[in-house]
Amino acid sequence: MSLWLCLRFEQLPLQCLSHCEQQPVVVLAAQRVVRANDCAAALGIRQDMGTATVRALAGNEPVRLLERDEQAEQRCLQQLCCWAYSITPTLHTYQSDCLQLEIGGSLNLFRGIDTLLAEVTSGIGSRGYEARYALAPTPKAAWLLSFAAQDTAMAMQQPLTERLNPLPLNLLQEFTTTVDSLRRAGLHTLGDVLALPPTALGRRCGKEFTHFLQQLLGQREDLQVDYHPPATFSDEYWYGYEVKTNDELLPAVQLLLQSLCRFLRNTQLQTGEINWQLIGIDHQVRDVCVRSASNHSDWENWYQLSTLRFSQVTLTDSVEGLALICEQLRPGQQDSIDLFSPRNQREPLTSLLDRLRSRLGLQAIEKVGCRDEHLPEFAVLISSDHPGNEHRSNEHCAQRPFWLMPQPKALRQQGKQLYWQGALDLVYGPERIEDNWWHEAVSRDYYVATDSGGQHYWVFRDRLGRQWYMHGVFE
Amino acid sequence: MNEMLEQVINRNDTWRGHRRSFRGHNISANSDCHNTQSLATGYATLDAQLQQGGWPLDSTIELLSDGCGLGAMGLFLSAMEHLSEQGRWQVFIAPPYIPYAPLLAARGIDTQQILLIHPKNRKDLLWATEQALRSTTCSAVFSWLGAQNYSYSELRKLQLAAASGDSLAVLFRPNQVSQQHAPSSLRLQMREYRKVHILKQRGGNHSIDVELPPADDVPQQPQLWDLPTWTASDRHSTAVGTPLPIA
Repeated sequence: MSLWLCLRFEQLPLQCLSHCEQQPVVVLAAQRVVRANDCAAALGIRQDMGTATVRALAGNEPVRLLERDEQAEQRCLQQLCCWAYSITPTLHTYQSDCLQLEIGGSLNLFRGIDTLLAEVTSGIGSRGYEARYALAPTPKAAWLLSFAAQDTAMAMQQPLTERLNPLPLNLLQEFTTTVDSLRRAGLHTLGDVLALPPTALGRRCGKEFTHFLQQLLGQREDLQVDYHPPATFSDEYWYGYEVKTNDELLPAVQLLLQSLCRFLRNTQLQTGEINWQLIGIDHQVRDVCVRSASNHSDWENWYQLSTLRFSQVTLTDSVEGLALICEQLRPGQQDSIDLFSPRNQREPLTSLLDRLRSRLGLQAIEKVGCRDEHLPEFAVLISSDHPGNEHRSNEHCAQRPFWLMPQPKALRQQGKQLYWQGALDLVYGPERIEDNWWHEAVSRDYYVATDSGGQHYWVFRDRLGRQWYMHGVFE
Repeated sequence: MNEMLEQVINRNDTWRGHRRSFRGHNISANSDCHNTQSLATGYATLDAQLQQGGWPLDSTIELLSDGCGLGAMGLFLSAMEHLSEQGRWQVFIAPPYIPYAPLLAARGIDTQQILLIHPKNRKDLLWATEQALRSTTCSAVFSWLGAQNYSYSELRKLQLAAASGDSLAVLFRPNQVSQQHAPSSLRLQMREYRKVHILKQRGGNHSIDVELPPADDVPQQPQLWDLPTWTASDRHSTAVGTPLPIA
């Protein structure tokens, strides 16, 4: 049996614009009060009052008057949907301020209704919203019951009609004319209407009204389009004050990353790149990109990388808001650590790479590989990502040094003596390496040389340029 | 037990005496018996002198040498080969030059595990070394600390990081710091070619020279420092193994 939880955000017009509780805040639409916060209500400000009345009631106290922003309300509702998607996949928005969640299928997951409701409460609370709850077998009934007293609204064991009967008819604002005519006939509560024979009621009030009543009682299918999570993630956080140091950014970084990772977990996606936008006082946007060598959806990992990245950013102007945008989403792949490995490796290999790259920069980390080339400097492949290994292992490299200089360095020559931090003696060689004739011909005679301390070097004589070079150091 | 006392005992750099250490004859009284992670060096003479029978994996190893190292890196090639099997990173922090990859591959070291890290300053160098040591993803960390001065507490931070992990941790430092105090449990010095001087060893012999005989080198492997004798007749012979250019 399906069980619907309706979350009605009565204060959404107010809470999507301001979370301020210290100062009276009033949301207006067409110069009339739509919502007022507790401080304003304490002054006697009520719904539908005019602006002049509000000003008169407030007296000397400063009142913030905000214009209603329905787009912002819808955005907030979408973000709430995104969060609620972690509770149930079957959900949709209803009216302009409700979420309808089908939680019958999630009860086992949460091990009971109580823990589920506790999760919902903490989720809504941490986002700074308040909601009225109601439980019913149909979404419309749940919505209607959200207007009832809390104990009736949550009493899902009681028969539905018994709970619906005392509700006033004027809640059905979609059917104002019908409701008005019914009220003129002396019918004031839902119970009065439900007691009438359905056919007679249908003839009098029209098909739509009876369909509504049938859907309310679960006698007719109530099909709604389910919410689908968006293809990219973006979320923002407004501080409400000027942020001047990097450390002050971090709490919001953590919040946004947790929200991102919840989104990623719900949609079973992962990402290898996230973009931070620091929104300045003058609404100038500064981008900070954080990359990772592997895709993952672990917020602590991203937090670590982001703090490393932010520690290198110097804030020139103060920051008012922080946005997190993530567009490169890929299907999740779990790469797991070998459980039975005798070593206690506790994280994937790439996480060290990510940390080092975040602080030292992409260029500071290199990998080495082998290439099948005769010239020693071409046989080593250095790159910041995976160099391919095209090396044939049986290649002859008997007298090769451990260290190779990236560029051969010219040796000082006096008479027949070579110098490199001291005099050098040739002890072994030559080995001729000739290559690259099609491009820039190279012909070298390599020798092993020692200095007075016993250190061995790899030097060569450029046969074409008639000059000696140092190319490597033996270990 | 007292919680603070327990914390102190759990630290790796706290020495605990064992009753059996005092009864034994061949083990010195302050031997570090409770932690015996080690890795064979590949040189029997060196293994015999090292207290744990190989490189300690729970502490930093300081290797002091001047110039290019006098074969300092060659000491660890055999260990690197063993560590390749683990599939974890082998990190080179601030290396003097580029390691010649075909040689590493010929020695059985997986070059894809090698990471070269080039920090821009001293602070980043210490940070990167500590990160690599603390991370559980490295089997070996080689850090060229260079000629700069490091305070005891900075080195101790690295020592504690190494103690928390199980990687081979080697710090390369110049000869001039041999008189300075250092927290590493093993300090070696390369004074001559193929001769290691044990400067300090916790719970073991120190102030001795260890010769590395060529007999311990891996047979049929390209040797780094064991060069064939070069006779006068070779001097006039033609170049060896030269690929002839196509004219």
